[in-house]
Amino acid sequence: MHANDDAQAAENEVLLIQWLRGAARVAIGYSGGVDSAYLAVVARNTLGMHHVLAVIGRSASYPAAQWAAARQVAESFGILVAELDTDELNDPKYAANPSNRCYFCKSELWSRLVPFASRFGFQTVVDGTNADDLGDHRPGAQAAHEQGIRSPLADCGFTKSQIRHRSRLLGIPTWSQPSSPCLSSRLPYGTRVTTERLALIEETERAIRRLGIVDDLRVRYHDDLARVELSCDELAHWLVPERFARLRDVVVAAGFPRMALDLRGFRSGSLNVLHGVGAA
Amino acid sequence: MSIRRETAGGEPTLEGALAERGLVVRVEPRAGLAVLIADEATVARLGDTELRRTALALAREHGFTHVAIELRTR
Repeated sequence: MHANDDAQAAENEVLLIQWLRGAARVAIGYSGGVDSAYLAVVARNTLGMHHVLAVIGRSASYPAAQWAAARQVAESFGILVAELDTDELNDPKYAANPSNRCYFCKSELWSRLVPFASRFGFQTVVDGTNADDLGDHRPGAQAAHEQGIRSPLADCGFTKSQIRHRSRLLGIPTWSQPSSPCLSSRLPYGTRVTTERLALIEETERAIRRLGIVDDLRVRYHDDLARVELSCDELAHWLVPERFARLRDVVVAAGFPRMALDLRGFRSGSLNVLHGVGAA
Repeated sequence: MSIRRETAGGEPTLEGALAERGLVVRVEPRAGLAVLIADEATVARLGDTELRRTALALAREHGFTHVAIELRTR
């Protein structure tokens, strides 16, 4: 990280602390990802344990490994956690998997989380949206806006790299964690989201991780075919026939009849590109 | 001798364009995704970054946004 950016990140953190003091008590939509973990830790350090509540929304689209990591971070930093079951898969508008699928998911989450938090005296509800997110295709942000959710990281100008940098300084283990969006993002728009498909994707990613892959990884669902995206470094490593065959065998054992390795490698929002939603 | 294959409409195919670069594969088109079904030697060749870039560029020229390689089963 460049020294100027380093200084900017530190200034942003001062702004964030001021922002949080102004709110006094916050409930956080908490996934345990890089952004919400950093926000939760700074909030906890600023406001104290009893003025911060991290709320996890749990459903089949939320990976179990991420849930475990989220709980572990919260426990390490003394952050109170509550869990809410969400039911977006039973919403036909969500399950049909339109390009604004995230809107229906976030509507479900916030419509449960806001009244829940209010019952415990948390009138300010925040999420981990950062400044980099603002330019992306994120229909979920509309749902957050409709429910009055605040985004202090974005308000204070935090970029993703700044959040990682400050997380590292604070000793938050998520600082180097790859981004981990919900499992439904592995299905092309228009392909129905079902519990079985999400379970298949989750199990396949878990099986691939057991091969020692720690970088970015996505298993994209194309009916009978799993399209595996790896980081560029990993991609070159696995484009060796014996290794490739091993990777394929692991994917097939997990339940996909076929496996193909993406030649470009991992890219965030890959299926947005496939469907012309984002930039190629 | 050109080994480029032509479609019924006379448009050059991705399969032919790749073959001209020595990448003999069967292309299975799935909307914007081209699945290249290849033997072990071709998989190994695509470990080369430059050749991979070439394959990606050719696929883009042929209207594909994504390219993935599958190892042909014996």
